[in-house]
Amino acid sequence: MSNPAPGIEVHGLHKSYKLGRTHLHVLRGVSFSIESNEFVAVVGASGSGKSTLLHLVGLLDRMDKGTVKLDGVDVASLSRSKRNRTRCRDVGFVFQFYHLLPELTVLENALLPAKVDESVLGWIRHRGEHRAAAIEMLERVGLSERMKHKPKELSGGERQRVAIARALMNRPKFLLADEPTGNLDSRTGKQILQVLRTASQDIGQTVIMVTHDVALAAEADRVLHLRDGKLTK
Amino acid sequence: MYKLTLCLKYLVKRGLAYFAMFGVAVCVFLMVICISVLTSFVDKIELAAKGLFGDVVISSASLGGVGEYDKLIRRIEKDVPAVEGASPFILTFGILRVPGTDFRRTVQVAGIRLPERAAVSDFEKGLFVQAGLDKPTFDPCQPLVMQRLREDILRTGGILKAIAPVAPDTQLSPDQENLADRLRNALYYQDQAYAAFRNADAKRKRFEDIQAQIKAADEAGDDAKLQLLERDQAIIERQMILPPQRRAILGLGIPGLSFRTPKGEVVRVIAPGQQIVLSLIPLGRNFSYADITPVTRSFTVIDDCSTDVASIDSEIIYVPLETLQRLNNMDAEVVADDPDISQPARCSQIHIKVKPELSRGLALKDVARQIDASVATFLKEHPNASHSPVVVETWRERQGRLVNAIESQRTLMILILSIISAVAVVLIFVILYVIVVQKTRDIGVLKAVGASNFGVAGIFLAYGGAIGLIGSIVGAVGGCYVVWNINPIHDGMARNFGFEVWNRETFMFEMIPNTVEVNTVAWIVALAIIAGIFGSLLPGILAARRQPVEALRYE
Repeated sequence: MSNPAPGIEVHGLHKSYKLGRTHLHVLRGVSFSIESNEFVAVVGASGSGKSTLLHLVGLLDRMDKGTVKLDGVDVASLSRSKRNRTRCRDVGFVFQFYHLLPELTVLENALLPAKVDESVLGWIRHRGEHRAAAIEMLERVGLSERMKHKPKELSGGERQRVAIARALMNRPKFLLADEPTGNLDSRTGKQILQVLRTASQDIGQTVIMVTHDVALAAEADRVLHLRDGKLTK
Repeated sequence: MYKLTLCLKYLVKRGLAYFAMFGVAVCVFLMVICISVLTSFVDKIELAAKGLFGDVVISSASLGGVGEYDKLIRRIEKDVPAVEGASPFILTFGILRVPGTDFRRTVQVAGIRLPERAAVSDFEKGLFVQAGLDKPTFDPCQPLVMQRLREDILRTGGILKAIAPVAPDTQLSPDQENLADRLRNALYYQDQAYAAFRNADAKRKRFEDIQAQIKAADEAGDDAKLQLLERDQAIIERQMILPPQRRAILGLGIPGLSFRTPKGEVVRVIAPGQQIVLSLIPLGRNFSYADITPVTRSFTVIDDCSTDVASIDSEIIYVPLETLQRLNNMDAEVVADDPDISQPARCSQIHIKVKPELSRGLALKDVARQIDASVATFLKEHPNASHSPVVVETWRERQGRLVNAIESQRTLMILILSIISAVAVVLIFVILYVIVVQKTRDIGVLKAVGASNFGVAGIFLAYGGAIGLIGSIVGAVGGCYVVWNINPIHDGMARNFGFEVWNRETFMFEMIPNTVEVNTVAWIVALAIIAGIFGSLLPGILAARRQPVEALRYE
């Protein structure tokens, strides 16, 4: 009997950007694999390529070279619509600057991935279930009292918790957090990490958390060090 | 689902959208008003022209007119099955006077046949006494006339009471005082008219008695008595209801014979039952200028008629065709010694009604061609019928200059408003572009949670469409409201600010045409929505093409 495929498998990943006349080679052949349900931290200095790595794994960007496999599926082989569907159902993002939609309430922000996944008719049919799931997710991150509030009425930590609830809404297999505590004080940062950890454990997710805070990274199951576009350990 | 949610949120939360909606609403509002008024203006001209002249008009190029018209009508009805009815018509000019006053006015005098006229036009619809009767005549039943008169007297009295109550301490403004005087004057004349009918039988009997006495005095050679009797006869004649061949129907709107109160109520000063005097210059037969002698006849007003065309109602009087033929020298002239130089009775025009299904557009033109051919054949066979060219025209050809001018105006207005509307498209484009730029990060988030390019573009296209839809509905509702109430609005503006755009003489009709065509409004709304989507197309595509990573990094 063969071993099951790792949750995330990255091999020989290259990515460069063109900035004016110069070519910025951000990732230079990154390879690693992460088991399902593993909580991995990626650390590195600013500009080391951490966020770029996360964007490529999360299908937000296209690589120049290399392969990314999610649950054994090479993402390069996916059509545009399948990439969208994978992003919607299988990947949850948490950003450093929360990126909540200011027009929507806390609950509506949390519901956004479910709304993206559903047609109008589907939404009418499953609205109740989705709302219940979103409320449960917000309760889990401690925001049950703030559901009708707008993002601007929340603190930084609360906003990030909403972003986590949104990322977990569709119960994705992979949770990708890009400096989730980078904009918060250390106490709130620890709380957020705890929320991330608990939530992902409850749902059973594979988590990659990008951070430049080594102490925070130490909380992860495993730490990957990225320097100048390459993994060093 | 997110497309709908975000589209609605952006609509409600983004103040900029209201500017775009306002722009669309204003454009649609103006379009609905201008197109509706001008279209219903053209429709009203059609209705009025058909109501007055029928669908096709045969007219003579000279004042001599067309002879043998009854034979010609029968011939046309036989040759052209599309013809539903036809009636001769005489139009000439005269001077109108009201006995016992210094009122004088030039008018058009129309000779018509009743009830035949009702078969080719909507003449009967605008009558006062005989309103709605299928077969109006110059001899309506007396009780009906009296009933209508009574109603009108009560109505006039009611108007007077409303502005000048009987209470002694009531203070009236000079305008109200003036109006009250005019209403009292009208009531005086209306009472006289009613009395004329009430005493009609007695006066007729008295007239007949005097006639018999005149005959006896004439036979007896008693000149003194004869003179006195003739004077009495003239006095009685002025007070009696004249026989049907000496009756007239007034156009409702001849200045001096009726007036409108500031509220738009029509008040008759000269009502059915009163006499008028018409003086005509008989121009219907070849003459030398030295021969022209005006003829004068008194007529009893028996009814009045409103065609809703102010320019016609304000200067026309209808009299029996045969009466006008005689007065205008268009009756038959029989020279017993030389039948070749005898002339048949003539009319100026023949008005023809065509079956409704063939009464528009090219079908009507085709019917007019058939009538023209029939007329040409008839004239060859009856050379005495007309010595001048005879023209066959559809109502539209006859009113061509006017209708084409209005249609050109309408086209021009649509063009100008389309250019203005293009500004609304640009407005939507700019506003949506600004919103797309402002929302770049949100677009990145949407893509991060799985939104497709098409979905993101859809938000902005739906947004543009919704701006078009809401703006156009607001504009259309406002436009329809204004069009439906354009007359009270106009009157209110004229009363309060002295701002009068609609001059009844310039624009022909009493009221501003105010019909709204549902199809037209639907088209305008649809075009506004398309314009909204068009304006949002580029911003939508721009949003869709944003790379999620670029969008998320956007500062």
